[in-house]
Amino acid sequence: MTEISKLAELRKLVHSMERTLGLEELSPVERDIYYAAEELSKNGSEIRTYGLIEHTLVQNVSRPTFFRALKSLVQKGYLAHSGNANRGRYIVNAPR
Amino acid sequence: MRSWITDTFFASLAYVGASFLTFSVLMPLQNVFFPEYPSRASLLFLPHGVRVLAAWLLGWRAVPALLPGVFIVFALLGGADVFLANRLLAIAIAVTTAPAVFYLLKWAGWDLFPAPGRSPCWACIMGVGGITSVLVSILTNMAFGSSTSEYVAFLIGDMSGLLFLMFGLYFAFRVIDRRA
Repeated sequence: MTEISKLAELRKLVHSMERTLGLEELSPVERDIYYAAEELSKNGSEIRTYGLIEHTLVQNVSRPTFFRALKSLVQKGYLAHSGNANRGRYIVNAPR
Repeated sequence: MRSWITDTFFASLAYVGASFLTFSVLMPLQNVFFPEYPSRASLLFLPHGVRVLAAWLLGWRAVPALLPGVFIVFALLGGADVFLANRLLAIAIAVTTAPAVFYLLKWAGWDLFPAPGRSPCWACIMGVGGITSVLVSILTNMAFGSSTSEYVAFLIGDMSGLLFLMFGLYFAFRVIDRRA
């Protein structure tokens, strides 16, 4: 496990505590999509919608809920549209 | 190899830092607010949280990663007595118990280690912290011969230490996120 993924795992653990104690600002679906995006994003590379929607963490999420949550994550700054013209690509940001 | 050095540095640094905070800040405060509390055990023992989280994150590699930090803390507290057989045994107990509990649970079919696509279960980690605390108390009692009344104090200190360490991480990540 790389240093960054260890930090990501610690963040996921803390997020799991936030979720249980009601301290989080993201919904459970938004959080799962963000976790999945973090995992798929290697060294700051772009992630694609179709890769994200097939991730094990979001497999059981309906398409409308997935896209609503994705839009919300972009609005909250957790994800950003890639600079490229293709809108199905995102960059993972640290939360604001 | 570089990853091993980094793991060892950060895990040991976290253990020494948590111990310093516990023995130099929290215990004096405990003595001020609870002067009649008879036990010498800390009611907020942060190093236990470091042990458990390092074992969860690193697996068996937490043993060599924590060893320098635990040895430094024992040496600072006990001086040259750190080389006594019971102290060396206590150091071994401190570094091996948490990884052993995680691996025993994995062997029993309850794998809590981080893995891609798996959401961590913080309540389960707290449970492992409780089991580890009881085991460390029993085994350390064998090494040092502490009274059984200390067990409860150890358990309270260890569990509150793990919980407060996780709250500490929560606030640390919040601060980092706001600055990013």
